[in-house]
Amino acid sequence: MRRNALLLVTLVMAASGSLGQAAPSASVPNFSGLWAHPWLPGYEPLASGPTSLKNLSRRNGVSNPVQLVGDYNNPILKPATVEIVRKFGEMSKSYYGFPNPRNQCWPNGLPFVLSSNGLEIFQKPNEITMIYQTDHQVRRVRMNSTHPANVTPTYFGDSIGHYEGDALVIDTVGIKPGPFAMIDWFGTPQTPALHVVERYRLLDYADAKDGLDRAAKENALPQPATVDLSYRGKHLQLTFTVEDESVFTTRWSATVTYGKPMDIWRENVCAENPNKYGTERDAQVPTAAKPDF
Amino acid sequence: MANPEAGMRNLLLLATPYSLLPLLLLLPAFAAEKATPDFAGYWGRNSTDFEPPLSGPGPVTNKGRSFYARFGDDTNPILKPEAAARIREASKATVEGVNFPTPSNQCTPWSPPYMWRALMVQVLQQKDHVTITTVGDQQVRRVRLNAAHPKNMTPTWSGDSVGHYEGDTLVIDTVGVKYGSNSMIDNYGTPYSEGLHVVERIRLVDAETAKKAAERMEALNGRVEVIAGGASIDPEARKGLRIEFTVEDPKYFTTPWSAAVTFRPALGVVEERVCAENMHDYNSGTDVPVPRADKPDF
Repeated sequence: MRRNALLLVTLVMAASGSLGQAAPSASVPNFSGLWAHPWLPGYEPLASGPTSLKNLSRRNGVSNPVQLVGDYNNPILKPATVEIVRKFGEMSKSYYGFPNPRNQCWPNGLPFVLSSNGLEIFQKPNEITMIYQTDHQVRRVRMNSTHPANVTPTYFGDSIGHYEGDALVIDTVGIKPGPFAMIDWFGTPQTPALHVVERYRLLDYADAKDGLDRAAKENALPQPATVDLSYRGKHLQLTFTVEDESVFTTRWSATVTYGKPMDIWRENVCAENPNKYGTERDAQVPTAAKPDF
Repeated sequence: MANPEAGMRNLLLLATPYSLLPLLLLLPAFAAEKATPDFAGYWGRNSTDFEPPLSGPGPVTNKGRSFYARFGDDTNPILKPEAAARIREASKATVEGVNFPTPSNQCTPWSPPYMWRALMVQVLQQKDHVTITTVGDQQVRRVRLNAAHPKNMTPTWSGDSVGHYEGDTLVIDTVGVKYGSNSMIDNYGTPYSEGLHVVERIRLVDAETAKKAAERMEALNGRVEVIAGGASIDPEARKGLRIEFTVEDPKYFTTPWSAAVTFRPALGVVEERVCAENMHDYNSGTDVPVPRADKPDF
């Protein structure tokens, strides 16, 4: 009888533990699912310390998403970078846009893709798959691995991840600078030496509020909002750090704070909308001489 | 100090039928979840064509018998005259040495069932939906589980896909597939309309079945080598993933028809493949006409 009772209890405990088989184990924080933020451009500059560029062009007190004039006075920028950002700002002021990987339908790459308004995370023990809402771009992170000695550069780079307590830490190198590659929406350049470290954590609303407030202070909120701003459940906060010695005077950090989308994701196909956005020319589509099959 | 006898009494109390009842109620759910077949992972193959059924109406096949020479069989009785004409038009382009535009070479979305031409797919299973990514150009398709199609749907490139499990099989029903200038059912230019209805049945098969299916397709249409983008197959694989699908579209087909594709577990690192880097139109000397829109995407 006692043996049977113990067996039953064991069985029930085993069953209960297996019900969430698709989810990570109890010791691993569960980031799976859809996450979203409504802001444009999306990065949340920190309140202090080296951080991402703000938009000098303001509309209703916040970033004007159709006139992108990066703050070239930001001390993270090296002199040559200042000139590039200033030039893009002048282009934007003289019309309303310039080509970037998002509006030219190129892989957004890191860290640019982190500005995407939606992120879906699939956690597996050996790999994390991240799908971004913008053009449904897919990125893969190998867990508990190392970068190869010789990395072939790709748009999303070589990403390896591990858990540190309640945080998912992703380290990325080998990021290929494509023809429209940029760090942010302001044309800040990047080189193949770019190194990005991301830290993802789940936060209660009270702890996420600082990030949400910084997002609202800098970014535009398109209408109608695609995210439930009254959501008070768990938020996902990304803190990312960027290093690129040729471009920046120092490493810098910013955050992106995600809540929950109000609806299912709609199909988002950049190829249907690669307009020039004021660049006076059509999308600069690359060409190749060989078939892809 | 803990009382061992009281501890055992509590354990036995926990083990009585009444106290166990709520926990035991979890067991059927556990059993159901365990019964859900596990399709998760990367699956690859070395052919981009559809497998004809052993009998009955099947897909358009390649008269060219080569991956690099695509001449769809326009005499297939599933085809209505207009569909056959479209296939002849595409074949003519191949004869003239100018490949015809396809979703693959024009970097436009791969709708079902065309998406099953993929050489590698990733399946991600969750409780309420299944996500399928095609590794070529990293396209994403979502299937809502145990849901119904909306009454009024806006057509999308992937269509509205709803799925459910029937034993060891995932059944996906798709309607509302958008049709564009490059849209096609297969590699041969077979057209479809917005009346397209696709039902896919996905299940695991044993390694031998998967191997035979792969060999059959490679014999029929040639093999896409790894260096040309074909998958590197795990030689130790004990299973395969078979997708059998049925296609209906009264505008272009005389009858519903069926086909299949069979994948095997893929090895190696999933490489980034970016169609935007390779969208030449293959021999006509000009770049592809990318679609345009007049409004920003934000």
